[in-house]
Amino acid sequence: MTDQLDCALDLMRRLPPSQIEDNLSGLLDLVPDLTEPLLSAVDQPLKIAHDPVTKREYLLCDYNRDGDSYRSPWSNKYDPPLEDGALPSAELRKVEVEANEIFDIYREMYFEGGVSSVYCWDLDDGFAACILIKKTQDRSAKGPPMRGTWDSIHVVEVQDNKKSGHYKLTSTVMLNLQTDTTATGQVGLAGSLTRQDEKDFPVSETTPHIINIGRMVEDMESNLRRTLEVIYFGKTKDIANELRSSTAANVLQQRADLQKQIGSSIGNKQRS
Amino acid sequence: MSEPTNEELITIATNFLLNAPPGEFMEVVTDVRALLPNESLLNESAGRTFREYNTEQMIFVDAPGGGHKVLISKYGEVSDGEYLDPKGNQVIQFDHIKQEVTGKRAIGSGETDQSQEALRAAFEKEAFDYCGQHYPHGTTTVYAKDGKIIVALSSARFNPHNFWNGRWRSVWTYNPSNGECVGHFRIVVHYYEDGNVQLNTDTTQKITVPSGAPDAVASAALKAIAKAEQTFQSSMEVNYNTMGETTYKALRRALPITKVKIDWNKIRTYRISGLGQKQ
Repeated sequence: MTDQLDCALDLMRRLPPSQIEDNLSGLLDLVPDLTEPLLSAVDQPLKIAHDPVTKREYLLCDYNRDGDSYRSPWSNKYDPPLEDGALPSAELRKVEVEANEIFDIYREMYFEGGVSSVYCWDLDDGFAACILIKKTQDRSAKGPPMRGTWDSIHVVEVQDNKKSGHYKLTSTVMLNLQTDTTATGQVGLAGSLTRQDEKDFPVSETTPHIINIGRMVEDMESNLRRTLEVIYFGKTKDIANELRSSTAANVLQQRADLQKQIGSSIGNKQRS
Repeated sequence: MSEPTNEELITIATNFLLNAPPGEFMEVVTDVRALLPNESLLNESAGRTFREYNTEQMIFVDAPGGGHKVLISKYGEVSDGEYLDPKGNQVIQFDHIKQEVTGKRAIGSGETDQSQEALRAAFEKEAFDYCGQHYPHGTTTVYAKDGKIIVALSSARFNPHNFWNGRWRSVWTYNPSNGECVGHFRIVVHYYEDGNVQLNTDTTQKITVPSGAPDAVASAALKAIAKAEQTFQSSMEVNYNTMGETTYKALRRALPITKVKIDWNKIRTYRISGLGQKQ
């Protein structure tokens, strides 16, 4: 079984990220026995739902799902309604409410728009939380079509040691950019990167768990943003330029010869 | 929810195989085989799928007897497993599953358009020159088919050790009757260290070549092709800059407008002061 899960995950690392939903759906048809582990291990672009009670939007993931219903972090209610859907304990719900407010501010400061949601659940020695953010951008109105989507999925496990906390964070950012111009036709850059981090922080009145988590998420997400920038706009471009050389081979050879000439004449001057 | 039929499973598996990134086909085959309820499900269609993948990707092989490489492509396919090598004046026999050349034979009558041979040969000379100048890891094969000259070019770099692979394919079809030359080029790049990032481009361009003697036409055509592909490459540079500078920044800022990281000691007071009240 583990072998099959490894193969499924390896497959998801190779198939085109622009078709994640179809790929996952195909996988679930091939190996229905792996449905639960696949749904929790494979990140998908986040879907947005509307909470009619609080009139706010929230994000859907496996952590706020119970059967076919999803729980809103604002109203704490399931849609479609469930008699006894899974809910965080009263204590944890207080943490969850504050977390949603704090990350709402975080989202506004870094994303200036978009939707965020935080879901918490109890663990034996602490709790876990997932922090989700989704932002889309469509600049097509201002010129040639250029669309982008950013999805953040941060999952943190908190080991509560009273005066301190041990935090294990796994973060995935999915980034999708598409353009359609006469000069370059259809260009799509799609994918995701995942990173992990583990830290200890002191816990106090002024630094409760949620503040420590916030710091960790901010650092992690900013690092991921920088790495994505390097890979998307640097690495893939470099590889593409290796496939076709802009400069003709004979010109490159002339330059190399000239460099050698200069190098050896400098060498001669130094020796004389 | 009904269980998928064997046919549906084969369709899913085949689709996965055909979407394997350049250089990773066998890895995808291994994964898919392990996930099928029954490995033998793919046996019947394997030959077709391997062939579809290889010819779509336009993989290249060493031409037997010659000092050049030749493409395995749909344009040169004379039958399942047999591909034209116009430069070597032969037909190559290729095993798609083993991915190796198994033999060669003479070109049969009707398998290539002899009436266009002078033009095709002129294009081939120019194309080989062009390929050598701009595609250090590429191969080109020039066909004469249905009255048209087809210049197919495939260039690939495989670096699994550093978790990346990529392929460029361009196909230019020249129509002697109206001087129109249509090019279709695609890039696929896959980067997969701690993630999965893919670049996909798909472009079609049209150029016109003035008529004349075969040598003159071929020279003018390849000059125009070179210019079109060069322009595409510089436009990609511009496109990358715009995506990175404009769209990316509009998705998530590097820092908040305050130009410093969040003060987590104070963030709970932001609510009171009115910052971040927007939804």
